[in-house]
Amino acid sequence: MTPKALKANGVLVLGGGIAGIQAALDLASSQVKVYLVEKTPSLGGRMAQLDKTFPTMDCAI
Amino acid sequence: MMDAGRHPNIDVLTNAELIRLGGFPGNFRATVKKHPRYVDESLCTGCGLCVEDCPVVVHNEFEVGMGARKAIYSPFAQAVPNTHIIDRENCLNGDFLVCTNCMNACDRNAINYDDPGEELQLDVGAVVVATGFDVYDASAIPSYGYGLYDNVLTNMEFERVLNATGPTHGHIVRPSDRRVPKRIAFVQCVGSRGEGKEAGCEYCSRFCCMNAIKDCLLVKQHEPSIEELIVFYIDMRAAGKGFEEFYQRSREMPELRYVRGRPAKIFEDPASKDLLIAVEDGETGEVGRVRADMVVLSTGAVAAGSNAGLAGVLGIDCDENGFFKVETRYGSPLHTAREGIYICGCAAGVNDISDSVAQGSGAASEAEKYVVKLPAPEEPEEKPIIDSSGPPRVGIFLCHCGINIAGVLDIDSLKAYAEGLPDVVYVENNLFLCADDGQRLIQEKIVEHGLNRVVAAACTPRTHEPIFRESCEQIGLNPYLFEMVNVRDQCSWVHTNVPRIATEKAKDLIKMGVARARILQPLYRQSIPVKQSVLVVGGGVAGMSAALNLDAQGIKVYLIEKKGRLGGKLNNLARVYPANLSAFELSRTMVEMVGSSRVEAMASTEIASITGYIGNFDVSTTNGNFKVGSIVLATGGDIYAPGDEFEYGRYENVITNQELEDILYQSKGTVEIGGDVTGTVAFIQCVGSRDPGKNPACSRFCCPTTIKQAIRLRESGVNVVVLHRDMRTVGARAEEHYRHARELGVRFVRYTPERPPHVAGDGTRARRLEIRELALGRTLEIDVDHVVLAAGMVPNETSTARLQDILKVPRGADGFFMELHSKLGPVETTTEGVFVAGCVSGPKDIADSIAQGAAAAAKAAAIVTHETVPIEPTTCTVQEDLCRACGKCVEICDFHAPAIVEVSPGVHVARINQALCKGCGTCASWCPTGAIVSLHFTDEQINSMMDALLAG
Repeated sequence: MTPKALKANGVLVLGGGIAGIQAALDLASSQVKVYLVEKTPSLGGRMAQLDKTFPTMDCAI
Repeated sequence: MMDAGRHPNIDVLTNAELIRLGGFPGNFRATVKKHPRYVDESLCTGCGLCVEDCPVVVHNEFEVGMGARKAIYSPFAQAVPNTHIIDRENCLNGDFLVCTNCMNACDRNAINYDDPGEELQLDVGAVVVATGFDVYDASAIPSYGYGLYDNVLTNMEFERVLNATGPTHGHIVRPSDRRVPKRIAFVQCVGSRGEGKEAGCEYCSRFCCMNAIKDCLLVKQHEPSIEELIVFYIDMRAAGKGFEEFYQRSREMPELRYVRGRPAKIFEDPASKDLLIAVEDGETGEVGRVRADMVVLSTGAVAAGSNAGLAGVLGIDCDENGFFKVETRYGSPLHTAREGIYICGCAAGVNDISDSVAQGSGAASEAEKYVVKLPAPEEPEEKPIIDSSGPPRVGIFLCHCGINIAGVLDIDSLKAYAEGLPDVVYVENNLFLCADDGQRLIQEKIVEHGLNRVVAAACTPRTHEPIFRESCEQIGLNPYLFEMVNVRDQCSWVHTNVPRIATEKAKDLIKMGVARARILQPLYRQSIPVKQSVLVVGGGVAGMSAALNLDAQGIKVYLIEKKGRLGGKLNNLARVYPANLSAFELSRTMVEMVGSSRVEAMASTEIASITGYIGNFDVSTTNGNFKVGSIVLATGGDIYAPGDEFEYGRYENVITNQELEDILYQSKGTVEIGGDVTGTVAFIQCVGSRDPGKNPACSRFCCPTTIKQAIRLRESGVNVVVLHRDMRTVGARAEEHYRHARELGVRFVRYTPERPPHVAGDGTRARRLEIRELALGRTLEIDVDHVVLAAGMVPNETSTARLQDILKVPRGADGFFMELHSKLGPVETTTEGVFVAGCVSGPKDIADSIAQGAAAAAKAAAIVTHETVPIEPTTCTVQEDLCRACGKCVEICDFHAPAIVEVSPGVHVARINQALCKGCGTCASWCPTGAIVSLHFTDEQINSMMDALLAG
């Protein structure tokens, strides 16, 4: 499982929705360089379009 | 989103896509094409002057076509990055046209019509695929009239209608005549759970049921005058933590009616533009037409159209539905067939938000194995520091929160009022203070007006205070000189119908906030050293997944298991769906991987005590003591043990799912139960679940488990009947298996909790099931040879209670551990440094538990990869000259933070461990001599607020 030749220090995250942002943040806080690539002009994905999330009714942004 | 845009280790590349991937795991070479924006990101401030001058108006995709935007635009108010972009297809600057309005309007010269875009070469160790889903195109089902009838909307469109920033500013009106609808109908499963060609995908899109329930509650909030909300559904799939309770709460709404039935067709009354929904009520069998002013189609998710192309670039496969194919060999939902490429969220199938978040963290954890981490961040050179010792200069920022606040409160009146408060030198209002430009505005005004105290009258500090504090800190203002007043939740939301009074209340709250802000003192975060190891409690799939992930990242792991061997519930299962893996093989694989790793696994080991705090836990077990920096709790849950329900215990042939699983495990080929002929087996769902008296929650995995077992039995020639309330086959492939079971001839009969099935028998055996058949209104009698009770999951009372006591992790009303945030923090807890994974926080299936294990590993690793961890300075502290060491604080503190120490011979005082203290202030209020000060909430600060309020 563990790769033998480690070299690069970045991870490519494809997709800037809620899952991709979470992955990027977790990697970054473990001191990993992240390239977060999003196809559309801004981050947020579907979640940014929602009004509120249940059950806490927090703002989806 | 904002955090990702700000993190120094994250490069955000928007308007970009991967076009080539070479190399191998640990050393991929990725080519990313950044499409031209025609606006220079480094120059654009997002001021919007260009938008005003742009002559082109087109449909706005973000508003799903309902709103309008210009050809140069920012996708939405809080967009990250907030750089504008030109839509060149609609732009009037081209070969034959020469409009240069935006270029003329931009005073930063950020516009470049000839922007060629850019290709970047990136060296990366791993790839995380989180490309999401596309929304099903509802016009593919012509009988529902989407695109033909004005008042038929999709759920995504309706979300924008409900949204304060949306095209209608949160006012619910129907498109045909802008009238507030009185009756809204929701149609579920549009494009999901399809039967036949026209009806879309076969799978269940999983989130639409909860989305419809949420929307119904929001409609009532937005338009209290709504007369009727009708939800047409097949099965109400409220399967997730807290979901069933949320659903039951919605059922108490008098305006809301749930009708079981899939509409055949929707007609429009051409005169009124009302809609007529032709539907058969599945419970009464009545066929009729229901009139509604507006219809919301709960459209599901389909695989992103770009998946096939991207799969080619990545060298992985798509499944028959077009989603990326998961490599199920390890039981994990995160793996693809290609090493070094991981997958999360809706890229591999439909997931809800909390599962997507957990999978995102899990995929991060998997990816971390293939990279060299960056060196610890260097201490920033001299940061600017704004001196706050002089007289207070308060700046007040009023946020509109779209119309959440400004739609109710009178902003002008608040602004005028705020300007008159003592020491206030600047007041400003803004549409979204949380957006990039709002934050920048605060920073600019701090500098411009020499502000040394900042008050934001906005939303809740729970989610937004950290953002504001960080902006203050960046510009040099101590973050604890920031005060937040919640005029949204406490004024505009709760007093929506009385705007004048709500505004008066907001004035009072702002006045109090300013009074406190004036005497706030700067506080400084301390750093404490971190032990570079992790404790994982529980050796089931979630715990093993966490341990293996941490180990692969080179982190020292202690894995302790109470029982004699690792494996947890996997040891009691025969097969694991959806991949039909052998549970024995999966368990053995994982246990062997743990065995061959550096994980220090200890079976038959229990925790004696844990003391300490984030970064520094002292763990004492029955098998030795050690120190760790963070902890993952993965102790699982218990299968509900039925009492005498359905004659369990009375008749020997009434057994549980779990007991059947043992039999299936023993059986080779045909299944024999108790050695006799196995004619008919009846399953009864929801035993010990969805029962307000016992356990109101849905246990989520029992429906898929029953399907799995029913298929196995049916394939052996057994007749199978499943008695259920709703078949909740959510999760990967569960719906497809449900369909397969029906095709094999498994019978499904619905019952209601008011009329549960009755088990009749004689002597020691059940012989017959009696069930009221809803559609036909008669009682069915089914001769049975075995009755299988689908028992749900309950918390392991002893172990969770004990861990709660030791680590102060709160438990919910259901007895399971409570996550930090049910959606956005599914593996975090309120106890810093302590994480949860798997069934310890609520029922989950194997795949979700494995993903959560990986997610918790990512969180635990983030702490121990740093040398130090900062601690919040909003704690309590003792003025030692006033302390007489009575010990009251030691006695009452839940967190063991205070201790009595001898400071000089014979002189004792209380001291509070700053790392353990939560700043709750309980000790400060109990201290008989007033020696304890609750920093950031001092008596003086609280009194100043009271004085300001009472001064009138």
